[in-house]
Amino acid sequence: MQTAVQLMATALQIGAVYILFSLGLTLVFGVMRIVNFVHGQVFATAALTVAYALPTIAAAGLPPLAAYCVAAPVGVIAALVLSVAIYTFGFRYFQRDEIGSFILSIGLVLVLDGVLLKVFGGAVHRVPEVITGVVSSFGATVTLQSLVLCVVALLLATGLYLMLGHTKLGKVLRAVSIDHEAAMMVGIPYGKVAFGGFLIASLLAALAGVLIAPMSIVSPVIGTDYLIKGFIVVIIGGLGSIPGAILAGLFVATVETLGAFYLDSSYATIATFALVIAVLLVRPKGFLGRG
Amino acid sequence: MKAPTTLTIGVVAVMSASACAVDPAAAQDVIKLGLSVPLSGSAANWGKGSEFMCQKAAEEINQAGGIKASGKTYNFECITYDNKYNAAEGTKVAQTLINRDAVKFIGGALGTAPTKALQAIAERQDVLLFTVSWGKSLKGPEHPMTFTQQNTPYEILPPLIGYVVKQHSQAKTVAMLNPNDATGQETEPVAKATYEKNGIKVFASDYYERGTTEFQAIAARIASFKPEIIDVGSTPPADAGAIFKALDLMGWKGVKVNETGTGADTLKETGGDAAEGVYMGSGVVFDGDTVSAYQRKLNDEARKLLGEDLNTIQIGFYDAVYALKTAMETANSVEAKKVAETLPDITFPTFYGGKVGFFGKETYGNVQQMRLPILVTQVQKGKLVQVHRIDP
Amino acid sequence: MARIDANLIGWIVLIAAAVFAAVAVTNPYLSSIVILIAIGALLGASLRFVMLMGEVNFALGAFVGIGAYTAGLLHTAAGLNFALAILVGASVSMVVGTTFGAITLRAKGPYFMLIGFAFTEAVRVAYSKFAVLGGTSGMVGIFPPRALDLWMPLIVVLTVIVFLVVLAIAERSDFGRILFAIGENEPVARSVGLNTFRSKVAALAVTSATAGIAGGLHAFTNNVISPGDFSFLLPAFALAYVKVGGENHFFGPILGAAFLIALSHYALGFGANESFLYGGAIVLSVLLMPGGMLGLASRAVAAVRKGPSSHD
Repeated sequence: MQTAVQLMATALQIGAVYILFSLGLTLVFGVMRIVNFVHGQVFATAALTVAYALPTIAAAGLPPLAAYCVAAPVGVIAALVLSVAIYTFGFRYFQRDEIGSFILSIGLVLVLDGVLLKVFGGAVHRVPEVITGVVSSFGATVTLQSLVLCVVALLLATGLYLMLGHTKLGKVLRAVSIDHEAAMMVGIPYGKVAFGGFLIASLLAALAGVLIAPMSIVSPVIGTDYLIKGFIVVIIGGLGSIPGAILAGLFVATVETLGAFYLDSSYATIATFALVIAVLLVRPKGFLGRG
Repeated sequence: MKAPTTLTIGVVAVMSASACAVDPAAAQDVIKLGLSVPLSGSAANWGKGSEFMCQKAAEEINQAGGIKASGKTYNFECITYDNKYNAAEGTKVAQTLINRDAVKFIGGALGTAPTKALQAIAERQDVLLFTVSWGKSLKGPEHPMTFTQQNTPYEILPPLIGYVVKQHSQAKTVAMLNPNDATGQETEPVAKATYEKNGIKVFASDYYERGTTEFQAIAARIASFKPEIIDVGSTPPADAGAIFKALDLMGWKGVKVNETGTGADTLKETGGDAAEGVYMGSGVVFDGDTVSAYQRKLNDEARKLLGEDLNTIQIGFYDAVYALKTAMETANSVEAKKVAETLPDITFPTFYGGKVGFFGKETYGNVQQMRLPILVTQVQKGKLVQVHRIDP
Repeated sequence: MARIDANLIGWIVLIAAAVFAAVAVTNPYLSSIVILIAIGALLGASLRFVMLMGEVNFALGAFVGIGAYTAGLLHTAAGLNFALAILVGASVSMVVGTTFGAITLRAKGPYFMLIGFAFTEAVRVAYSKFAVLGGTSGMVGIFPPRALDLWMPLIVVLTVIVFLVVLAIAERSDFGRILFAIGENEPVARSVGLNTFRSKVAALAVTSATAGIAGGLHAFTNNVISPGDFSFLLPAFALAYVKVGGENHFFGPILGAAFLIALSHYALGFGANESFLYGGAIVLSVLLMPGGMLGLASRAVAAVRKGPSSHD
């Protein structure tokens, strides 16, 4: 039943989820030098909003896919509103202050955990399968839903990479992340760029939340579970590097999949952490890191 | 730098003063029931529900006239603090309940590590402790004031596994999975031994970390042993559903058991159709004719608060309050030690209907376990159905 | 001369207040808070010591936990007495810390922080795999001798003060100055011939030793320890103590620990709303007091000194 192909397919699925989550994290760090623990909460808000809204909308008579297409933007908007608030009243004052922004985000995580619990309740929510059906090929079976997720993740990552490389906004973001003082000297408005970067990163988190919701266990603590993995991926890949996040996402997912299959899953967890240490020793800035 | 250091002392003094502003002379005729439960994190709903059930029981008793002992009438009051599921916070909660709030009765403690922390302090101060935790080492002659308020694997597994094995006599092999936490570590050895005693071969017994988000690889591994039964032990229903779904996707078909599955709702949320046929040992059914109107009413209220049905943990918090009332009135005293000595001999009205007492001498060396019914339930056609009930 | 006097006065007041709190407070609940503040202060100071060289040591959680579990195991399994158990625990922690530093200190900044984070979490999961450590249910029975029960607050406070003094002296010494130089600009420090790598590892040795002491004290005063006590949240909160108290002065983390730990006890009474208060306090402190409480205080003192004739 379990061929190498199936394992690879599993690793790919898991990797896609991690990549989606980590893209925003790495962008924020690259551009603003902020370690953003709150990324998980933004992700969770989007996922929870969808989980809450979808059954309500579906009850009004829409089929799951249509209901999802209505609920998803709502989720994204909710998450974006939250992140704009967090930026305006918080992170804006901590530009390039790694430690300060980190402590701020710890405090925010505590507060938001409480808020999410109050607003959405502690129970687990189900987002019904939006795209049903499975696909079988080469001896591996995956759900259509996760295939769609992989495709979307690939598209988003590619889109982001192209944006950074070929659009004006992308060039500006890269300039700021390479040398923010020089960028300011040539007239790049740092404040606006930082805000833009943060917004894009939050959008990515929100999209990740909305996409992962139908496939995952949506509860108020979902943010923290993914956050730890997200940080591992971002560091191994290299802070600020999109291709790095993609590679690392796949790498961590593969280690986890193989580890969980051949060993006990909790040993796999230890192995993943040990691997982080190992990679960083050989390449102290991650696979493709610059920062 | 004198100013800042004086500032320190000032701040600490003010905080300490306000923090220990406690009702002196413990507001006469109120018995405080302390609760140490998680109110944040993944177990938040359990804690919230436990607090709700304690308050409900206390409310009912107070309205019915309170507790009559040693010539006075008393009311119950539930005080709840968040123990965040670890020992350090559990100690903080214990100190606050016992040394600041002068609580003499713990109406319930959830989470083995914080319960152990609480027990260390409680015993030194002769405080009576009720807990839902399963650790065998929590009970016994060295811990005369500790009592368990829900069924543990020692009570549940023999009837549950025995029933499943009898129903599926052609299944001879099992693969087990448990979370790497206190419940999993307590469940695994009991489950393994029980399966082997029933003549079933245990192909594998794995652990996974709480907080895992993707279960495909874990499911792939257990399925690869080709067992006829897959038993996910004390895996929480949300994770269990995800695991069964992944197994279903791989085409594994067999007997599914979630030993201490507490509710069908969450299992169905994440498992979908794969939740069909899962046997559970801690599930409580709230529709159908095995349930009284009163139980249903209470569950509906809880549902509004929590978004899911009540489970055995939270029901335990309700039962403990009634057990204490009965013991206090029987002993005609509200002194913790006397009440603890009386508890083993009383019978009290339980949420499950009827009256139960305590037992457990052979397993634990002392009579400290509530003698509650074991309900074997199964998900049939998307609903949880009670298939078997054992009253020990 | 004036600066040294002010600091000396600060130390005297701190020691006097701490000893007074330890001895005069008899309510066991309040004593437990005093003990927690003392241990928290040591944690904050240990973290701040490494911050001098410009790194955030998230492996602190692992060092504290190793010190705690070693001390606990030696006491429960080998019957070692409380003082010896803590000292051996701290030594083990120091060996681990030095090794860890030697291996990982080539990474810097957020990478070093994350290696430390990964290490703390990996070690946390590892504790739970060993039945002899009590698994996830925790290790119990770590009690100091009954005769010392009433003296525990004083013993803890005095032990913490001793190690705070050690850290303060280390900071003032030439070694401390090297760390400071590394924190300012490592390549420059290296260019004048300093072996920065060796100094950094030495700093990690010191911090892991003091963290191990804190861990041992935690084990004996809580009597029960569980893996969840030593997660990444431990160094995260230690960092909060430093930041909220004021990272630019030695007393900062002590003040921060006192304030935040007292606050967290107060917040307990809020039940499910505890996180709002505690998290909110951290957010507000960081937003409103960039230099921490001490930063605020010293600006206030400076403003008062300047008098009404300041330009506005």
